Amino acid sequence: MTLEQAKIEETGAMTFEVNGTRVEATPAPGQCLRTLLREHEHFEVKKGCDTGDCGACTVQIDGTPVHSCIYPAHRAVGKQITTAAGLGQPGNLAPIQQRFVDASGFQCGFCTPGMIVTAAAIEADAALGVDDLPRLLKGNLCRCTGYRSISDSIVGQHTPPDGSCHTAPGHEHAEASSLGPVRATGRTRGARGAGLVGTSPGAIAGERVVSGLEPYTLDVAIPGLLHLAVLGSPHAHARIRSLNVAKAAALPGVHRVFTHADSPTTLFSTARHESRFDDPDDTLVFDQTLRFRGQRVAAVVADSVAIAEAACRLIDVEYELRDAVFDPRLAGAPGAPLVHGDKDPVVSRLADPTRNLVAELHGEFGSVDEGLEMATTIVSGRWQTQRIAHTHLETHATMGWLSGDRLVLRTSSQVPFLVQKEICRLFDLDPAGVRVFTARVGGGFGGKQELLTEDLVTLAVLSTGRPVQYEFTRTDEFTITPVRHPMTIDVTVGAQGDGRLTALKLGVLADTGAYGNHAPGVMFHGTSESVALYNVPNKRVDAQSVYTNNPPSGAFRGYGLGQVIFAIECALDELARELGVDPFELRRLNSVRPGDPLVVTHEEGPDLIFGSYGLDQCLDLAEAALKRGNRAVVPVGLQWRVGTGMASSMIATTPPRGHRSQASVQLVAGGRYLVRVGTTEFGNGTTTVHAQIAATALHTSVDRIDLLHSDTDSAGYDSGAFGSAGVVVAGKAVLAAATALAETLVEVASAWSGHGLTRGTDTGTWQLEHDGLRAVESESELVSLDTLMHWATANDVGLTAVRREDGALRSLAFNVHAFRVAVNTATGEVRILQSVQAADAGFVVNPEQCRGQIEGGVAQALGTALFEEVVLDGAGAVTTRVLRNYHVPQLVDLPVTEVYFAQSHDVLGPYGAKSMSESTYNPVAPALANAIRDAIGIRPTELPMSPDRIWRLLHG
Amino acid sequence: MQIPAPFDYVRASSVDNALALLDRHGAESRVVAGGHSLLPMMKLRLARPDWLIDINDLYELDYLLVDGPVLRIGAMTRHTTLLESDDVRRLFPIITDAEHVIADPIVRNRGTIGGSLCQADPAEDLSTVCHVLDAVAVVRGPAGERMLSMAEFHRGPYETAVAQNELLIEVRVPIRAGSGSAYEKVERRVGDWAVAAAGASVTLAADGTISKATVGLTAVGLDRNVTEVEAVLVGQVPTEQLFAEAGQLAADACDPLADQRGPIDYKRHLADELTRRVLRVACSRAAASVPDVTIQEG
Ligand SMILES: Cc1cc2nc3c(=O)[nH]c(=O)nc-3n(C[C@H](O)[C@H](O)[C@H](O)COP(=O)(O)OP(=O)(O)OC[C@H]3O[C@@H](n4cnc5c(N)ncnc54)[C@H](O)[C@@H]3O)c2cc1C
Ligand code: FES
Ligand code: FES
Repeated sequence: MTLEQAKIEETGAMTFEVNGTRVEATPAPGQCLRTLLREHEHFEVKKGCDTGDCGACTVQIDGTPVHSCIYPAHRAVGKQITTAAGLGQPGNLAPIQQRFVDASGFQCGFCTPGMIVTAAAIEADAALGVDDLPRLLKGNLCRCTGYRSISDSIVGQHTPPDGSCHTAPGHEHAEASSLGPVRATGRTRGARGAGLVGTSPGAIAGERVVSGLEPYTLDVAIPGLLHLAVLGSPHAHARIRSLNVAKAAALPGVHRVFTHADSPTTLFSTARHESRFDDPDDTLVFDQTLRFRGQRVAAVVADSVAIAEAACRLIDVEYELRDAVFDPRLAGAPGAPLVHGDKDPVVSRLADPTRNLVAELHGEFGSVDEGLEMATTIVSGRWQTQRIAHTHLETHATMGWLSGDRLVLRTSSQVPFLVQKEICRLFDLDPAGVRVFTARVGGGFGGKQELLTEDLVTLAVLSTGRPVQYEFTRTDEFTITPVRHPMTIDVTVGAQGDGRLTALKLGVLADTGAYGNHAPGVMFHGTSESVALYNVPNKRVDAQSVYTNNPPSGAFRGYGLGQVIFAIECALDELARELGVDPFELRRLNSVRPGDPLVVTHEEGPDLIFGSYGLDQCLDLAEAALKRGNRAVVPVGLQWRVGTGMASSMIATTPPRGHRSQASVQLVAGGRYLVRVGTTEFGNGTTTVHAQIAATALHTSVDRIDLLHSDTDSAGYDSGAFGSAGVVVAGKAVLAAATALAETLVEVASAWSGHGLTRGTDTGTWQLEHDGLRAVESESELVSLDTLMHWATANDVGLTAVRREDGALRSLAFNVHAFRVAVNTATGEVRILQSVQAADAGFVVNPEQCRGQIEGGVAQALGTALFEEVVLDGAGAVTTRVLRNYHVPQLVDLPVTEVYFAQSHDVLGPYGAKSMSESTYNPVAPALANAIRDAIGIRPTELPMSPDRIWRLLHG
Repeated sequence: MQIPAPFDYVRASSVDNALALLDRHGAESRVVAGGHSLLPMMKLRLARPDWLIDINDLYELDYLLVDGPVLRIGAMTRHTTLLESDDVRRLFPIITDAEHVIADPIVRNRGTIGGSLCQADPAEDLSTVCHVLDAVAVVRGPAGERMLSMAEFHRGPYETAVAQNELLIEVRVPIRAGSGSAYEKVERRVGDWAVAAAGASVTLAADGTISKATVGLTAVGLDRNVTEVEAVLVGQVPTEQLFAEAGQLAADACDPLADQRGPIDYKRHLADELTRRVLRVACSRAAASVPDVTIQEG
């Protein structure tokens, strides 16, 4: 036995080196290296799971990358550990880190430190070729980017937007293609480029993200922090008859045990919207009735998670079991067990709790029966979509504490302001006494438009007075976090011989699970733009969202549209085949154009307008790219069949009924500007875009812009980062504020120079530049911004402009996706040969980022289309509980998607921009299904289109 | 955080030390090798040992040795070592094939062959490979060493013949002239555990006929080789028709479960398809090592 080992056995103490610094530590028995490193404030070592599946925790040990979450801490004795922060730091980045900054190799950036540690090891090992990158990167998941920008960062090249597929040998690129501004845009880096709108400056936090120093939600050390763990219901439907927490409370290290006796009695919804009336009030912090497996029964606050979890196991609960319903088709049947039979439909805003009905829509425009009679060709079918987990790499988490007598919540949320409002309502607190803010958020995709952890932390902080943390495990993310609504969708479409649609009939049944969070919104949104996209004289929609005792469904990128578009676009494809019409032509013939009414079951309100229109260009771009091909080699063998397919989609650029944001821009010392805006950065790139917008309006450069955001204390109200509102609403508020400040500066310059402060007289003679203002006519010297600021302060003139945007008008954005695939008829394997997305994003503020959003949306959609499903056992229990069983796409699974932008300019968005984060997801699954149909002659109608399902279609 | 149940931890300094520690701490102690199967199980509370005995430092068990007619693989040999070894590639390409598709490079840096075999997960690729290669497991305990065939070693899902106070020390793989072998797996995505996988090892006689053939399957409910195929293949000249027959037998022999990786008939179909493919490749590899033999088409 060595001395070191003897020492461990005696005292448990050990030493090792992290990034060249000696660390002495006493790991707890069973501790993994990741938690030990984080306890030593190496927050660059992230946690995405617990089982070695995601790579967020990757560190090098003596030069070899390992998953530190499954590496016993004791084993690090005497070892040299290198984390991302050890590879390089802001101002002194390692080349690989710099390349991640330059090529925008991240979005939320939560995967990035681990990814870079792996990449650095690949680079250092001469034996490993970058050709094998897809396999070498298997251990590191990224949910945001779709990996193209990551592999570009590692390889050190920039794939043109019309890049080839990974599956294609030789990585040849497509024939020259023109289109879209991306290629034309040079990269402008750091301080050297101005980074104005239309160019692609790197992310503001880039250098900190790649070195792991940008803090996320839990990346802060708080002395005396307590931890919260939850006991979940083992039953899908039960009532708590009795609870005995005595043993749990007596466990040393336990501070408090909470049960339904401690719960506020105010009903709420975990879903958050600008209007709290959008969602049914059907949830309690703790409910005596348990409606899904995993629902909170009790919570324990203790010195450590381990103690809290141990205490949870000591709670004795007597349950009274109830009949449960799991099949949404049976939920509405007479005699079905009622999930919320106790609710008042008016108070809780439910369509009919006696039929498990949360929301429904029945309506007709024209007469579908007549329309079908007029049709020469009719197609009808049923489509089924599945539960999808967001799988943002940062799980949900909140830290809370008291600051004086104020409650502070640091949470992983897309909606801090809405969380603040609802927490105050639930706990009867004065908003002035509650601060909610986020650090950088490690991905959201809609999953963080929910209030899932903040309420328990509030309860715990208020009753213990201590700082408390509640963090979801990856298993929590799969089992109790709302998923994408699974839907059964019936579509009937009819057309005349010339291809003109005469009737469209849609039936939707959505399983919203045990709680109605987002149920009405997803149902209404899902059936709106999907239907409104087409000029059909006769339309009918029958949609229902029902309760079951399955885990809840919620908001997810596309907000219901992805599911319904899957069905409608597949039905249209089948119709085109029957008619013998090209699918692109069918779209050209029937899609709405400016001037056409937007109709679902009645004409949409006047708030929805064609602020710009690029669908025609998108169809042309995608069709041309598909025709051009990409020289991808078709796999040889009789069993391979090749096909092509496409689909379109439309989305409103903002949620309906208002989305509010207030921004302020202030001139500060050094010619810098401080922008305050409430919206949250969670990988969608708003911080960069807001800086670009402000810099452009203020004739300065992005490096002169500082941003405070996503904090109820330091920014004005913002409804939140959802509904694609980050650029179109918050960005517009920033533009308005920055423009107003620019005007003010001109006025102040006139005043300073002795002229009056009368607006509109001689103000036009002063011009704002990067470092100051100049009187144009007299060609005077530059008056520095600092000079003006001092003068303004002395004269009590404010240099802050505040503006609001209320999102009252909404525009429309469009996406068209096309695929060429090869399908192996012997195994059901689908290989993507070419993937094309054409997008109408209006004016593209940051082409590189926008392209990243599209690639990431496509990657997520391909996960939906091919691999992912949260599987239930038929009795409400999730069987896919760890990442090992849930298939998030990896680099090796994905093609490089060619991205094209339509040239359009929106009248509503800032500088003519439209939103482009959710919409990219929507046309992908149907386009792929249509391509598979083309290849094998049989139509897949169920997602995911996994090899076993395709094989069954062929051999079933 | 998912927290394993509390346990104590001790690092073994030698095989004898490890055995002594296992003996001292008794029934509730477990050895941990790479930890890449055991730690996730503990975090998910599927395993709860009181004592963990870390054998990660036992370099004496980390070796690859061509020793006359056998390849000796120490139990602590990492997946990466197996993947990168030229000896392994030359003698047993089936191992290289399998290692290519096991997990990701970071897991392969730590995970060991001993841990894989002792874990005995039905989806563990190396278990099938060792079965197919007629490997022998060398197990040491207080009473000395035992040599076990894979059939004796591998008792069923998550169950082996290694007693609580014993260690797997080494895996011995017999080297046969004129042999070829191959492994192929269908995953739902790359680096994933198998939906189904198959391995084959074939020995050709000088006249080009098959003198020995073994086929094994992963993740389809069969803990043994598909012995049924041997009778069909041995003595025959390899042909596509023969492979098809063997594929059918493999499909009949397996007993898969339906799960999120696919339904039963699909997995059966894969057993058939993959058996044909690995036999095809194994035969052509064997032929390459036997001059003058070519595989007939058809
Ligand atoms: C993300 C991920 C993906 C994976 N994918 C795959 C895959 O696709 N295919 C595949 O086959 N495997 C896969 N694995 C498993 C991987 O190969 C493991 O490393 C391996 O199964 C176990 O090796 P280990 O050394 O880590 O064992 P450990 O986890 O240390 O031990 C496993 C078990 O074996 C026992 N044990 C270990 N060594 C000995 C010994 N010498 N004597 C007696 N008992 C012993 C331990 O007590 C324990 O019960 C994956 C693992 C991870 C984390
Ligand atoms: S956190 Fe370690 S692999 Fe996911
Ligand atoms: S950037 Fe990779 S997970 Fe968000």
